[in-house]
Parts: sequence; structure tokens; C-alpha cells
Amino acid sequence: MSDHVLSTAAPDYNEEVVRKFIIAGMFWGVIAFALGTYLALELTWPAFNLGFSFTNFGRLRPVHTSAAIFAFGGSILFGTALHVVQRTCRARLWGGPALANFIFWGYQFFIVMAALSYVMGFSKGREYAEPEWHIDLWLTLVWVLMTVVYVGTLLRRAEPHIYVANWFYLAFLITVAMLHIVNNLTLPVSFFGAKSYSLFSGVQDAMVQWWYGHNAVGFFLTAGFLGMMYYFIPKAAGRPVYSYRLSIVHFWALIFLYIWAGPHHLHYTALPDWTQTLGMAFSIMLWMPSWGGMINGLMTLSGAWDKLRTDPGLRFSVTAVGFYGMATFEGPVMSVREVNSLSHYTDWGIGHVHSGALGWVAFISFGAMYYLIPVLWKRERMWSVKLISWHYWIATLGIVFYISSMWVAGIMQGLMWRAYDSFGFLQYSFIESVVAVHPYYIIRMVGGLCFLAGSVMMAFNMFMTIRGPQPAHQNTGRGFGQRLAVAGE
Amino acid sequence: MDDDIADAIVGWCMVPLCLLGLLIAARAHDSEMYLFGFSLAGFTALFGFGLIKRHYDQKDQARARVKAGDHV
Repeated sequence: MSDHVLSTAAPDYNEEVVRKFIIAGMFWGVIAFALGTYLALELTWPAFNLGFSFTNFGRLRPVHTSAAIFAFGGSILFGTALHVVQRTCRARLWGGPALANFIFWGYQFFIVMAALSYVMGFSKGREYAEPEWHIDLWLTLVWVLMTVVYVGTLLRRAEPHIYVANWFYLAFLITVAMLHIVNNLTLPVSFFGAKSYSLFSGVQDAMVQWWYGHNAVGFFLTAGFLGMMYYFIPKAAGRPVYSYRLSIVHFWALIFLYIWAGPHHLHYTALPDWTQTLGMAFSIMLWMPSWGGMINGLMTLSGAWDKLRTDPGLRFSVTAVGFYGMATFEGPVMSVREVNSLSHYTDWGIGHVHSGALGWVAFISFGAMYYLIPVLWKRERMWSVKLISWHYWIATLGIVFYISSMWVAGIMQGLMWRAYDSFGFLQYSFIESVVAVHPYYIIRMVGGLCFLAGSVMMAFNMFMTIRGPQPAHQNTGRGFGQRLAVAGE
Repeated sequence: MDDDIADAIVGWCMVPLCLLGLLIAARAHDSEMYLFGFSLAGFTALFGFGLIKRHYDQKDQARARVKAGDHV
């Protein structure tokens, strides 16, 4: 296959849109991490709410989550998806440059509009789906166009085989479209008014929300980033995927199982017991496909582990896979009803989410970006490899501070809330549990600061790399890093 | 699909979106819809102008290449 690839000229790939998404992803990443740190500050010392409605925790919190998931994660996912589909299909993007450009700017427009609406106090109040109906419609338009471009490119491919990364990206695009549309079925009060009401009510509404919420984790934050893993780890390591068969088996298992796991967010609620049990059982079954992906990612490094010493970008990717394994072990444990009775409503959940968001999502994105930036801007390497190393260690330290403090705080909260004295009264008042976790909130904030500092280093490194000179011998239109085709190319 | 035709279709789609934005802003019941309507109109107008600019920039570049004699 390598000979075949080398013997034919590469198509005129649309790299401009990929570059824009990567820059946007970096920008939104810094914003998301800064906002998260500020919110950690507000939680530690509420005076930092400042008394303004638009700096209130309730309004800024969805700005942070949307910036992290949709703005940072989404931009990187779209950018890498458009890069991967072109390279693995040896085909230029379907639909022309204007459509690709519209997808980029349309998506950024969605992000800005959503953020502005939150700080103005408009929200549907649905987890990870706060924008009101008109912004949802706009996102649907952009998302569907992105899917059409992606599928169109797959259909015009010059390669007979669809590489596995594309399967994951496709699952991400199609399933998130379905989830977004169903979860946001609302009835607007007026065509010219922002307020709308959900088409569902009561426990059905709760079920739809968490069917969406958990599958946003499964298909946005897992499947999409697994697509990233399956392309960029083999490329950076210069090794083929450890087991292509395992990648297909765990893909279909993951797709089949994830969609049923949502009810585990609604234990001990009005949701019927059998539905809660179903969600719990499917969550436990998810262990297997999740770890299938982790094992495949880690084993791809077989024979190339030495590269971790010299390539800190690859270190990000591999550590991300480790965090993925850890978070996908912890999730099913927390989905067990008895464990959930302790962990739910506590900061353990926050710690779990951030071990996935920072350790898996952000780290796999950083790894992909450190590989991709020199390729896209046709540079020899990043401006400073040492700075990548610094970024790696300070971000890792930040995650450790964050998740360990939240584990301790969460378990302590859960134990304090359920403690009874010998007379059968609650042993602690709620405020005592708030006071008890205060030191851990400070540690969490320090962790966030470390992570933010690392991302600023990365942004600076990226800026200097792009601004730096282009090596004369690389002016061939094919960037550094394009070694022999591996991993299904 | 030919890139020029695709670009033209995308460009023409901006017109109804821009008008829709203006309509929403004109009839808005609240500040959110007012902001969204005007932003939509502004975004689509700017995007359309960007497409036109890019089109003529490419023509200029092609003409310059012909003048320089490096066309094939």
C-alpha cells in the first residue's frame, strides 16, 4: 500500500479549513480552561461572582462546558475529521471551498451566539444542550452540512477501503445529529421569541435529556476522539494499528452498547427500576469495548515505546489513552446503583468528568495538534519541543491535583450526607459538608491553573511555529511528518 | 460537483438567511432574538462579501500568473 501511495500524486487537499479549525480549537481551549479556572475560584470564594448577573456561576457554567465540549472539542474534531477523511480517502473535500468555509464560520457563529445567550440569561436548562431553539436550528444546519461534506468525500474516495478512523468520525457525526435533534424537540412560544418548551414532560423528559447527555459523552467525547486516536497515534508512532480486527469489533460493540447506558444518570428517581437496571447493565458491558479501544491504542506503540522519550506530543496521546482506560473503568463503577447512591450529586462526578475531559479529550487533542501543526504549516517541527514537554508535565500535574481533590471531596461529601448519629438524626448539616470540602476546592483551582498555564504555553508554541520560517526543502506542498503511509492509508 | 458552482450555491443561500436575520431582528420579542437576528444578518452578509472577494482575488492571481508567463 505504501508503494501505491507513493506512486500517485496527492490530490489538492483543502487544508485551509483544517488550519482554521485547529487555530479556533486552540483559541477556544484557552478560553474554556480560563473560564473553568474562574468558576473554580467562584466555587471556592463566592465573592468572585462579583454581584453581576453575567458573572454569576449559573450563567458562566454553561459557557465553560459549551466552550470545552463544543468550541474546543468540536473545533478540533471537525478539523481533524476533515484532515483524516481527505488523507485516508486520497480525495479533496466534497462540496468546494465555500461550503467548507461556511461549516467553519457557521460553527464559530453557533459558539458565539450560544455563549452570548447564556450570559444574557437565556437557557433551555438542559445539560450540555442549553441553547434555545433558534441556535439549535442553526447548529443542525451546520452539523448536517458537515456530515454531507464528510460522506460526500468518503464517496469520492480513491482508496477502496474506508479506514477505521472514518468509521468513528462518521458515528460521531450521525449519532450526535440524531441526539441533538431529538433532545431539542421544543415548542417555541413565538417564532420571534427565544423561549421554548420541551415536547416531552416529566420523567420522559428526564430520560430523553440523559439519553442525549450520556450519548454526547459516548459519541461526541468518545467515538470522535477515538477516530483521532486511530489516525494520529499510528502516524506519530510510525506503526500500524495493533489489531485492525479489534478496532472493528470494539467499534460495533461500542456503538451498540453506548446508546442504552443513559438511564444510569437517573438512579433513585421516578424512572422505572427496570430502566435504571438496564442502563446500569449496559454501562458495565461497556467496559469491554472501551478497554478494547484502550488496548488497541496502547499496543499500537509496540516496538515504538522509545519514541515517548523524544516525542512529547506522542506522550500526550498515550497518556490520553491511559486516562481513557481509567475514566471508562470508573464510569461503569459509578453507574452501579449502590455506588451511585454514594457518588451522585457529589464532586466525585465532577472529578470523573474532568479525568475524561482533561485526561482523555484534551490530551488526545493536544497530541493530534502537536503532530498536525507542523504538517499543516509545513514546518520541520514545533517551535520548541522543550515547551511541549513543559506543557505535558504541568498539565498532567494539574489533572492529578484536580481529580484527586475531587475524589476526596466527593467521597467525603457522600459519606457526610448519609451519616446518622445514634439517635437516627443526620450527623452533619449541609453547610458542614461545604466547609469540609473547601480546602479541596482550592486544590482543584490550583489544578485548573496548572492546566490553563500549559495550554497558554501550547498556544504560544503554536503561534511561534506558524510565524516561524518555512524550511526551503519542505516547500513541496507536502508537509513534514508525512512519512510512509501507515495505518490504512 | 464543480467547485465554482458549489461556491455560487453557497453564496446565494446567504441571501435568504440574511433576510431571515433582518426579519427576526425587526419582529423580535426579546433582546436575545434581536441580537441573534442582527448577528445572523451581519454574519451572512460578511460571509457573502468574503466569497465575492475570494472569487476576484483568485481571478487576479490567475491573471498575474498569465502575465508572469508561468501558466501551463
